[in-house]
Amino acid sequence: MIKIEEKYFLDKLQLSKEDLNKLLSLALENGGEFSEIFIEYRFNNSVTLEEDIVKSSSRTITLGAGIRVINGEQTGYTYTNDLSFDKLKKIAITASSIAKSGIKNEVADLSKSSLKNQLYSYDNLITHLDLEKKINLVRSAYDAALKYDKRIIKVSSTLADEVQFVLIGNSSGKYVTDIRPQTRLMVVSTAEENNNRDTGFENAGGRVGVEFFETEKRPEEIGKLASEEAINLLSAYDSPAGEMPVVLGGGQSGVLIHEAVGHPLEADGAWKKTSIMSGKLGEMVANPIVTIYDDATIPSYRGSLNIDDEGTETKPVLLIENGKLVDYMNDLLSAKILKHEPNGHGRRESYRFSPIPRMNNTVLEKGDYTPEEVIRSVKKGFFAKSFQGGMVNSTGKFTFSVNLGYLIEDGQLTKPVKNATLIGSNFEILQNIDMIGNDIGFFLGTCGKDGQSVPVTCGTPTVRISKMTVGGKL
Amino acid sequence: MNNDINLMAVAESLVDYGKSKNVDEIQVSIANEDEFTVEVRNGEIEKLTESVSKGVSIKIIQDKRVATAATSDFSEETLKYLLDDAIARAELSSQDEFAGLPDEFYDNSQQIDLEIYDPLLEEIQPDLKINIAKEIERICLSDERIKLSEGSFFQSVIGEVFIANSKGFSGSFKSSSCSSGVYLHSADENNSYEEGWWSNSVNFDGLMKPEDIAQIAINRVTRLINARKVETQKVPVIFERPMTSMLLGFLASCLNGHLIYLNQSFLVGKSGQKIAGDNINIIDNGLLKGAVGSRLFDREGVPTRELSLIDKGLLSSYILDTYSARKLGLKSTGHASGVTNFYLDKGNSSPDEIIKSVGKGLLLTRTIGQGTNSTTGDISRGAFGLWIENGEISYPVAEVTISGNLGEILNNIDMIGDDLIFDRSITGPTIKVSEMTVAGI
Repeated sequence: MIKIEEKYFLDKLQLSKEDLNKLLSLALENGGEFSEIFIEYRFNNSVTLEEDIVKSSSRTITLGAGIRVINGEQTGYTYTNDLSFDKLKKIAITASSIAKSGIKNEVADLSKSSLKNQLYSYDNLITHLDLEKKINLVRSAYDAALKYDKRIIKVSSTLADEVQFVLIGNSSGKYVTDIRPQTRLMVVSTAEENNNRDTGFENAGGRVGVEFFETEKRPEEIGKLASEEAINLLSAYDSPAGEMPVVLGGGQSGVLIHEAVGHPLEADGAWKKTSIMSGKLGEMVANPIVTIYDDATIPSYRGSLNIDDEGTETKPVLLIENGKLVDYMNDLLSAKILKHEPNGHGRRESYRFSPIPRMNNTVLEKGDYTPEEVIRSVKKGFFAKSFQGGMVNSTGKFTFSVNLGYLIEDGQLTKPVKNATLIGSNFEILQNIDMIGNDIGFFLGTCGKDGQSVPVTCGTPTVRISKMTVGGKL
Repeated sequence: MNNDINLMAVAESLVDYGKSKNVDEIQVSIANEDEFTVEVRNGEIEKLTESVSKGVSIKIIQDKRVATAATSDFSEETLKYLLDDAIARAELSSQDEFAGLPDEFYDNSQQIDLEIYDPLLEEIQPDLKINIAKEIERICLSDERIKLSEGSFFQSVIGEVFIANSKGFSGSFKSSSCSSGVYLHSADENNSYEEGWWSNSVNFDGLMKPEDIAQIAINRVTRLINARKVETQKVPVIFERPMTSMLLGFLASCLNGHLIYLNQSFLVGKSGQKIAGDNINIIDNGLLKGAVGSRLFDREGVPTRELSLIDKGLLSSYILDTYSARKLGLKSTGHASGVTNFYLDKGNSSPDEIIKSVGKGLLLTRTIGQGTNSTTGDISRGAFGLWIENGEISYPVAEVTISGNLGEILNNIDMIGDDLIFDRSITGPTIKVSEMTVAGI
């Protein structure tokens, strides 16, 4: 039943181009400037192996439509999962009520545009794989995790896959569809020794097909890395506390760029002036060695998209160039208000949300030093290897929760440490990034903002921060 | 609430369809939600959201093998496909002796009224809701110390659940909730601060007045002006009510039966043991009348109850659904939908007395970040608050961290406030923890 051809979805929806035009026009009945319809049909599947058995498998089908009307800086949004034309007409009228000008704007005729970006391959989709073969993948990861060390007492391994069909039409005449695959294999390992227990985590995936788990990252490796972290944590000490130099390991530390730099550069904060980066275009906001961009067009990455959730084609967007703020990530509304060109960062979790500016794949550009040189340059400090996550508030204060770290003593990694939180404020950190490695690794994440979760990645080299507060225990 | 179709009948007919396919057991739950949200910023509506949405979840058990499915597409074709597909998939699940529907269900003849639905929320006009949000923000912006509004909001949600299964249980209940609040910025020469407040209630009349919400939000954001870091040290930490909720949320996750049988909680194997001070009583009460977390039964149809989790420091129960209970040789506690009204029982001290008792320490008012590890009980988060010297609030503190271990904290709560209010589903009074590490300079 799961077919991913566009025709299958369009047949399912039973809405003609004329129907869509009618809805967009109804939504402007009260005088809105812009109307849009977003329709989603999505398959989500998952299967979990836990305590040596396949406990369950699940399949979810999501169907829904959201209609949005923009008038000035105001948005009306309605959604439903009843896609009958009558119901959609009703919600179009409800959304229209945000505007009260009475001036009726015209809707341009929809003309279907094809996608220029082709970032995902539809061959060998995980979603098309027999459940039996999926279970084999999950089992390989599970077994490798359990066999890694006899101190591993529990493992759980999950394969999740998704195919999302989206249809976007708007009153400017845009009419576009996209079919987006996504997959992720996750392993959680728990280790125990002398009544101490710790949990390690590892995952891999993206908008990839089966071959990813054959060539890029084997399930066995994912399982092994989860268990390795759990075992390392067993012997880790409580983290030190206080201000000190911090080296962030490549890859996982992308969380820092995401929180400290990415969120403040989303254009809604810029036009609402709630972001600390608001009004600073063209100014030096970081150490000149810092260059940051967001690229939604890296083929098959977790955060990549052919078009964003407003139908805007994605492209690489340079944000900070040699320390200077050069652009924000925007959606149509913020681009309109700031009078910028739309740059394809309007995203939404599902039809239940109106789009907001979001990151995709955020990258801190590589520097000149080897990771070893960066670590060697620190006499006494903290090395962060893996992260639980991070958070930033709009006034620029952010935290990262470190899962596993190491002390740096005389340029060498020494004692493993855990249970640390790094805290800082974003201008300070951007100034204090003073040495960047020539390596790069990507962190797979799910980013939450305004109650909406979207898949992202962030990439970073090894990075030195001259000083930062490390929150541990005394 | 306007349903074009009878959702109870949909649930029951899916159960019948499953039975006609000879599944051993089937459970269907449907949730329907009406939402109205208005967001106001700088005096104007920024966003108005209205929706009706519904979803169905199906679980089938065949030969002790489980498969689940869910959808928001209520077409007969999709529903039947998902059920047939689940039956086929179940064959590839492993046999699990613990799988199965509950043995006991809520007794519909009891006719309990939890007072969790307020029809007024469906009757009042959108303009009234919009004006509440506007009024809160207007009061806040009239205070010159407020530099910026991130926006105020009013939200109302009417929900209804329908559950049916092959053991003959069939039940539904309706609930409502509304919330309204505001988020603000204040600033000094060097820094900006963000804070806010929101009120939450089952009933429209139970919501705090706009002026009260505004005053709390203004106070919370302006008291941080001129905040500084402190030196790294160990001090007593007072948790304001919302911070106690944060701590209890972490405790609730560590008590979850699934983490217990998976060995991912520091409370594994501690049943019946002393895990907290004698002064600690933790309760989850799903039957509290008119409270935001109350419900008649969970999504398996198991009745909720008043349940003691920690009784005078002894771990008296975990939080269990049917599966985790069977894994642990216990009975479901009616928590398949999570905790209901989970709280730390109140003590005798007023919050002022608690502050006065501290020579030097931190009054914690906000934390950011994740920084909790259920396996070890470790907690480490970014922190904001007020520094206390000689029993008086001395100056605000920002950009520090607090760290400790929940197992230790539960044994080091010196004082418990008398200010228990059921305004959140996880709640507790002001508490004083004798010592935690505060990391700063």
